[in-house]
Amino acid sequence: MAAGKRMGFWVDLGLMPYAPSFEIQNRVLQARIEGRLAPTVILQENPPIFTIGRSGTRNNILSSPEELRQWGIDVLEVNRGGDVTYHGPGQLVVSPLVYLGDVGLNANQYLHKLEDVLMELLANYDIKTHKTDGFPGVWHEESKIASVGIAVKHGFTFHGFSLNVDPNLDAFNLINPCGVSRMRVSSIYQVLGQAPPMAEVKSQLKEIVERSFKMETRVTSWQDILEHLEC
Amino acid sequence: MHYDIEIPPTADGALEVTIVSWIKNEGDQVSKGQDLAEATTEKITLYVTAPAKGTLTKIFVKVGSKVKVGTVIGSLEGI
Repeated sequence: MAAGKRMGFWVDLGLMPYAPSFEIQNRVLQARIEGRLAPTVILQENPPIFTIGRSGTRNNILSSPEELRQWGIDVLEVNRGGDVTYHGPGQLVVSPLVYLGDVGLNANQYLHKLEDVLMELLANYDIKTHKTDGFPGVWHEESKIASVGIAVKHGFTFHGFSLNVDPNLDAFNLINPCGVSRMRVSSIYQVLGQAPPMAEVKSQLKEIVERSFKMETRVTSWQDILEHLEC
Repeated sequence: MHYDIEIPPTADGALEVTIVSWIKNEGDQVSKGQDLAEATTEKITLYVTAPAKGTLTKIFVKVGSKVKVGTVIGSLEGI
């Protein structure tokens, strides 16, 4: 381990429904707060779902329950910051569970650091992005390509960001994404005309997250974490 | 012992947050670290937790109100 770096875990849940994956995140958070687990980064893709954050309202879902059934999209209220967003296959959802005191940032600075991580990752694909005052997230031209939304308990972070690699962007037309009417949403696929392999995106992200938060992570499974916690 | 319940200093002190829910009510017994309230900015949810075991004696700030980080939003009488 390099001097001054904390060791942590990198857990890829793969494609997993939102509710059980969030239950895993809650268990990791509790273990972090109790000092039983090192910093942990959780990755996942979800089957189609609209999540409504604490600043959100169902009024920002524009389609009827019948349309949602036809699209096969669930709806769930969650405790991250922010309004309504879409999660689905092809979108990478990443939740770093770190202690703000360890990374030397307050919650606001941490949120913007996540944006920096995403901008660096997208720059690796020659996608030029920017931040927009008053509209958190990462933008390519006039379109949002990645969203951020976090929660903090006892100084420990959870939730994080979602990056559109190659999701079905049509689903965003059924909502006011992040509560903003007619907001344009993009993806790596839409910008480049092709999507990089998800495994490659995750690998690049791991390196950037580790450098940004001065940590090294070991790739492990949720089952291994669970066994560790139950010891 | 009396405790002030504050919006946690995990965000910029100038940041304004909205109280979105009180998870506990006045008169409720709580244990140390238990969630009492949720406050949110546009993209950040902050949990306000009990500083000690005791009784939530007073809620000063109602749901929907905007306050700055560090503001005392309630009081707790420790056991």
